[in-house]
Amino acid sequence: MIAVTGIGTVSSAGVGPAALAATLTLGEPAARAIDRSEGFHGEGSARLAALVDPRHIQPLLPAMEARRMSAPSQYAVVAARNALAEAGLGIPAEPDSSLAIVAATALGPASYTQKMFDQVLDEGPRAASPALFSECVANAPTARAAIACRAAGVNLTLAQGEAGPLRALARSVALVTSGRARAVLAGAADEMPPLVHAILDRLRALARPGPGKSEKARPFGSGRDGFLAAEGATLLLVEDERVAVERGVTVLARIRAHGTCFDPTAPAGRWGTGTMGIAHAIVDSLARYGLAPDAIDTIVSGASGSVEGDRLEARVLSAAWGGAPLPMVLVPKAVTGEYGGAFLAAAVLLLAGIARPGAMGVAEPDPDLAVGMGRIDGACDIRRMLVTTLAAGGSASWVVLERP
Amino acid sequence: MASPTGVRTAAVVTGIGAVSAFGWGIEALHAGLRAGATSIRPITRFDASAFPTAIAAQVPEPDRARTRGIEGWARMSLADRFAVSAAREAVARAGLPGDLSSRMAGVFFASSTGGMLESEIYYAWGRHDGIDRGPRHLLVSQQVNRPGEAVARDLSATGPVESVSSACASAALAIGLALEAVRDGEVEIALAGGADSLCRVTYAGFNALQAVDSRPCRPFRADRAGLSLGEGAAVLVIERPERAAARGARPLAVLLGAGASADAHHMTAPDPSGAGAARALALALDDAGCRPDEVGLVNAHGTGTPLNDVAEYRALVRVFGDGARSIPVLATKASVGHLLGCAGAIEAVATILALGDQRLQPVPGGGDSDPATPVRLAREATAVDCRIAVSLNLGFGGCNGALVLGRAGAEAGAERVLEERQR
Repeated sequence: MIAVTGIGTVSSAGVGPAALAATLTLGEPAARAIDRSEGFHGEGSARLAALVDPRHIQPLLPAMEARRMSAPSQYAVVAARNALAEAGLGIPAEPDSSLAIVAATALGPASYTQKMFDQVLDEGPRAASPALFSECVANAPTARAAIACRAAGVNLTLAQGEAGPLRALARSVALVTSGRARAVLAGAADEMPPLVHAILDRLRALARPGPGKSEKARPFGSGRDGFLAAEGATLLLVEDERVAVERGVTVLARIRAHGTCFDPTAPAGRWGTGTMGIAHAIVDSLARYGLAPDAIDTIVSGASGSVEGDRLEARVLSAAWGGAPLPMVLVPKAVTGEYGGAFLAAAVLLLAGIARPGAMGVAEPDPDLAVGMGRIDGACDIRRMLVTTLAAGGSASWVVLERP
Repeated sequence: MASPTGVRTAAVVTGIGAVSAFGWGIEALHAGLRAGATSIRPITRFDASAFPTAIAAQVPEPDRARTRGIEGWARMSLADRFAVSAAREAVARAGLPGDLSSRMAGVFFASSTGGMLESEIYYAWGRHDGIDRGPRHLLVSQQVNRPGEAVARDLSATGPVESVSSACASAALAIGLALEAVRDGEVEIALAGGADSLCRVTYAGFNALQAVDSRPCRPFRADRAGLSLGEGAAVLVIERPERAAARGARPLAVLLGAGASADAHHMTAPDPSGAGAARALALALDDAGCRPDEVGLVNAHGTGTPLNDVAEYRALVRVFGDGARSIPVLATKASVGHLLGCAGAIEAVATILALGDQRLQPVPGGGDSDPATPVRLAREATAVDCRIAVSLNLGFGGCNGALVLGRAGAEAGAERVLEERQR
């Protein structure tokens, strides 16, 4: 069985799984005001984001090393080292071709690209900085993490929107199973600069403040109007469970099953109507691994508070369960926000019992979703969870995690 | 890359499609490559007069017949248009219906810039007039997963849709993922490829690195002075041999193996020893069940930058030994420019065309070979007897991807080797 043995995570909660677990258990996002000084934000726009505090990163990344890195590269490097340490592994002395990295990005290298294009527009193309350009590629975080951790195996940057982190985890399973990697750092890295925040707001993707209403993500909730934008990096250390046990480390989760599909009814940047297609794909993929929906005791849903996305996800889950009551449904994106991979870390922390699910249920479910959202089990003894994400644009991915 | 049964099998390529600066479609690309022509010319996509250089391989406008009936064409980014057009051509050439409507059809796509060109237009306008006013479609096409999703949407594919953005190795890696998905039975039909368009950020960036030649690029030549950027798309239809045979499709080539590695060395410079790239190539050959001495053709990454070509030659020496000087080498970028995330796809297509023709594609540009990179660069359209070819890509951040392709029918030999090894 392929297992997760380390969590490296950088988020608004801080660095490391303990900081994230504490915030998850508290149930309140560590959100703060986005910088609006560039003037991109309009009246009534979203104001909050789950941003990484640079003071959390600085002690872990020497200034000389950090000075040419964009924010997501810094997050990825810190998360990669964190994951290796949590899994009881050190940085190899020489480039290690058995150590691979598979990380997703949903938004790409926004801030450095913006800076460089500003140079081109304001001062002319000859003013473009080569140092900025080297971080204007989507794979900069994975490449920087590989350099920092001497990971000379497969180095893959996936882009599958919000579903990318789960697909990266699935890819890591294939790499270890096939023997092409001994260990894989799998996850995601993204940044949330003011321009991207304002654009997401312009696309009406973000939760906004309003009369009598706080600016808050309400996954599956009535009155939801968008998600909380987030940034950070999460990389999970994935390896063969037997190897981990021999090394004497704690196995946090087994990756029992995974799947992915596409909904061609989804317009670019939006969600579609292909409920039954996605539901069938989930059920069929579970069956390939000898599982049925009733073998799942918890759903960790990628619902984020998006009006369209949550509606589709609710319908898909209901269809996958054949209209039967859903098991316990947890919605960690109410706390982690969307992007940056903390959602992935949250799922593992919940399964491993490191974070408590009490505050992560669906608050005030939207009656229009016409689906029971599964009560939080008093005992909260999670054995096997389905983790899902349906991305804007049509991609969907899921994994089944099991407690060892 | 083992299948669930533990037996690594080849897959066949039954359809190819391309958009390049030679024109829209495989025929235009094929004609340009056979003739040893270059499509690198002055840029008109944007005003390049203030840039240090002003040439690239820019795709011409399509004829109307090609775009008619494609839903949403007017609102697609240029990269999405390239992708959808190349995918439609590949599917048609494979003899497949234009509506795949199956979970067993997947798309494995690569892009480095996605809809960056359109985002630049939006941002240049919006930073003064407010970002809440521009056309929404310019924004939503920005992400690098959009070209692959546009292909899946256009063909109604409902299987896996994965996009790789590992710089210039992206498409080789995406094709490797497609091979894996076909072998594992995750999909029956895989569309694999990539798409990228020229944009100002990329053009300014490579110029800032002093990596762009003011003349059309001259890979492995003594006077080479950098790369030439390009744009376009290329798509391969990949499936299991028995499935292709069952539906009467004629394989164009065999996809025998894929390999990937990282240099873990530097963000923009390749490992000068070539060790990382050599490892990707060796892994691909091993995956294919081929020995280095079976390789009769190399399609090199061959950017024309001083550092890349030297590192790549050293990688070839590590794998082929003295063969690095004698195996014919193609350098497709001299003809169509560097297509960045799509480079591995259009170079795979060029390799498939060369295998089909059993003829070298002359590398344009002339000039003496660099004594530091003494490869046997294809200079004439010489006939060859080549069963196995490799295509190699080296990307920013030290990402490497390699593919092993065989002439149609080569899969039987490779599978015999694998079976012998397993015994």
